Amino acid sequence: MKQRGRGIACMWYPIGFTVDANPSAATVKVNEDGTATVLTGTVETGQGSLTVLGQIAAEALGIATDDVHVVSADTDTTPMDTGAIASRTTYVTGNAIWLAAEAAKAILFETAAPMLGVKVSQLEAKDRKIQVKNYPQRNVSIAQVAHRSQVVLGQPAIGSASWNPPTVAMDPETGQGKPFATYVYATQIAEVDVDDETGEVEILRIAAAHDCGTAINPMLVEGQVEGGISMGVGMALQEEMLFDAKGRHINPNLTNYIMPTSLDMPEITVDIVQGFDPTGPFGAKGVGEPTAVPTAAAVLNAIHDAVGVRVTSLPATAEKVLAAIKAKRATEQKQISA
Amino acid sequence: MNEHSRILEREKLEIAETLRSSDADLRLPAMVPREPFPIEPLSPDARQQTRAVGQRVTRPDGRLHGLGQTKYIDDLSFPGMLYARIKRAGIASARIKRIDTSAAEVMPGVMAVLIGKEIPTNTFGPTFQDQPVLVDEVVFHAGDGVAAVAAVTEQIANEALDKIVVEYEPLPAVLDPVAAMRGDSPKVHAPDSNIYATKVVRKGNVEKGFAESDRIFEGRFSTQMIEHVSLEPHAAIADWDANGRLTIYATIGRITLARSDMARTLKMPMSRIRIIGTIVGGNFGGKNEITQEPALALLSKKTGRPVKGVFTRGEEFTSTTTRHPIIMDYKTGVTNKGRILARQIRLVLDGGAYCSWSSTTLGKACILSPGPYKIDNVLAEAFVVYTNKTMTGAMRGFGAPQVCFAYESHMDDIAKALGIDPLEIRLLNAFDEGSPSPTGQVLHSVVVKETLRKAADRFGWEPRS
Repeated sequence: MKQRGRGIACMWYPIGFTVDANPSAATVKVNEDGTATVLTGTVETGQGSLTVLGQIAAEALGIATDDVHVVSADTDTTPMDTGAIASRTTYVTGNAIWLAAEAAKAILFETAAPMLGVKVSQLEAKDRKIQVKNYPQRNVSIAQVAHRSQVVLGQPAIGSASWNPPTVAMDPETGQGKPFATYVYATQIAEVDVDDETGEVEILRIAAAHDCGTAINPMLVEGQVEGGISMGVGMALQEEMLFDAKGRHINPNLTNYIMPTSLDMPEITVDIVQGFDPTGPFGAKGVGEPTAVPTAAAVLNAIHDAVGVRVTSLPATAEKVLAAIKAKRATEQKQISA
Repeated sequence: MNEHSRILEREKLEIAETLRSSDADLRLPAMVPREPFPIEPLSPDARQQTRAVGQRVTRPDGRLHGLGQTKYIDDLSFPGMLYARIKRAGIASARIKRIDTSAAEVMPGVMAVLIGKEIPTNTFGPTFQDQPVLVDEVVFHAGDGVAAVAAVTEQIANEALDKIVVEYEPLPAVLDPVAAMRGDSPKVHAPDSNIYATKVVRKGNVEKGFAESDRIFEGRFSTQMIEHVSLEPHAAIADWDANGRLTIYATIGRITLARSDMARTLKMPMSRIRIIGTIVGGNFGGKNEITQEPALALLSKKTGRPVKGVFTRGEEFTSTTTRHPIIMDYKTGVTNKGRILARQIRLVLDGGAYCSWSSTTLGKACILSPGPYKIDNVLAEAFVVYTNKTMTGAMRGFGAPQVCFAYESHMDDIAKALGIDPLEIRLLNAFDEGSPSPTGQVLHSVVVKETLRKAADRFGWEPRS
């Protein structure tokens, strides 16, 4: 018979490297028509990072995402970057791009201030215009300013910057220290059906609530959460590399190493919890890795809730769950007969 | 032809036509359709918005993926390009007595063969440089490469691998991480111990905390070895030009580190190396460092031709990094009301044959292992050990999914025994803004309780009696 259960798991996860320097550098070039090019040494690995980095540059310059082109991943042409690792791209590379964009914008403001007859400190960049704060009627388009900067004044609006998360080394004896600049938090709750005659587990739905500071692009955050959950499902129920007695891997293929497919995926709801981290670009932290962290824990707690057995080794294959159910029944019968 | 045979003929034709049309559904058209690709760019509103932050902006690369215009390594080709394959050891622990590549070298179509001894600095690794590009003396795990071949086709390169003769002297293999920690275990690398990194987080006094606790709970949890299984396997093209400048196209997440590793293994100045990271078809931590790139570079140097290498799915499993199996012992002291007073943790990570990102995984697992909870007394100790298995390294979460499985399973066991709702016990112990972490860091922008409440609301979590 199918038994239903629910399980909850929460987690914390850091952004960036443990203590070690993991800097990013970036260059932002405002073209003379008011569009911009970003140079970054990070790599798009499918997560949508270049889209998010473009949004950060656009926000800083007061232009739209479509106005920004991001060039990445060439050691001859792009500045150094620690790369797509440790959920650090939005936070660390994002901060570097933000700072580089601010540096380019400072050149635009220098050009715009005399055009508008105000001080640089009175200016803001918004809606593709440079305008006077609290008096937006006085404005000039970024395109005009960028053109004048480069073609008339000979000051192209180009900014470069780097950023590294601030940490404090850990004491080797006690581990006390500040290994990371910031952390994100999340909770996932899973509902499962466990067939107590076969041990088979079906994950019905997962409610995921994730913190990433400001969500630069909520759609891509949701995509990360759904992808992370699919890895968590595999970890919880299916995936395992097996070795023979001589240390040779015996299932190095997708026939015998079982991964979740779309048919194994539960219904997922994603909630992005409101947060703001003053140390991140526009309050953003990160989201990549943490999405895969609590899933297996939530699923295993749901199995426990459904059939009362605690599977302590992953993955919780049908064989393992059934063995645990049988062992539990055997002890219960013993108690009755005793 | 009589009527009968005509009917037969027609039926045959009809069957053949049916088969052909069903087959055609499965095939790509022989002729490229005349209509052009829809390359008029879509600019949905979100991409035109100012402010840009917070917008549900579509990805510029999504359209290229959808139209098949994204160029992954396997889509790239250069004039005269060769194909490389690597011969794998297939034995977990052995000393190499002899490698004979002569039969492979004389095969028609084989342009070059490379062995470990020809690599200028035959070690690499992000923390410890303990990993050879191609093993030259000792095999540390079955997926190790022993020789590489460049040939005009991948098929010839594959056939050439079979012609390479390697004689091994088998050595005892270390497979169990706990047994590997014992003094009498055979040693994978170092002469004195298989434990290659440790981490401790100590806060308050766990013994005192346990003494003050009403109840003490213990549990052991363990996890498995997992492969990233990116859709795109590890792949690269090396092009060593006539000026002695090397260009590498690679599916890799970290080009700056890759260039530094290439400069080290090839003993070349960085100014002569260019790494171009192509769009990566899945990373998840598995493409954070070089693999075959130095071998491809040297094969390109030997032949004067660009050389492409693409791992098979089998190699993805046996010869690239994986997720650490961890054995996790938890002991927790709580009050009857469910407040955690002390937690002691011991983690043993199976580090596989090479360090790779093990010390990072060890550190993160150790720091995160107490969970997102206010606990005054913590002792977490973590060890990572060498075994003769596929190396473990970076994978989405660096040890966090493993310890989360342990601390959250443990938490539910405690909640059940104390008769407290699982949501309530977490809200009772979870970090607040300004809580100190196990390493004494004052935490900011802490929203763990908000995520608990939000998920519970969305799920419809009701306390049960």
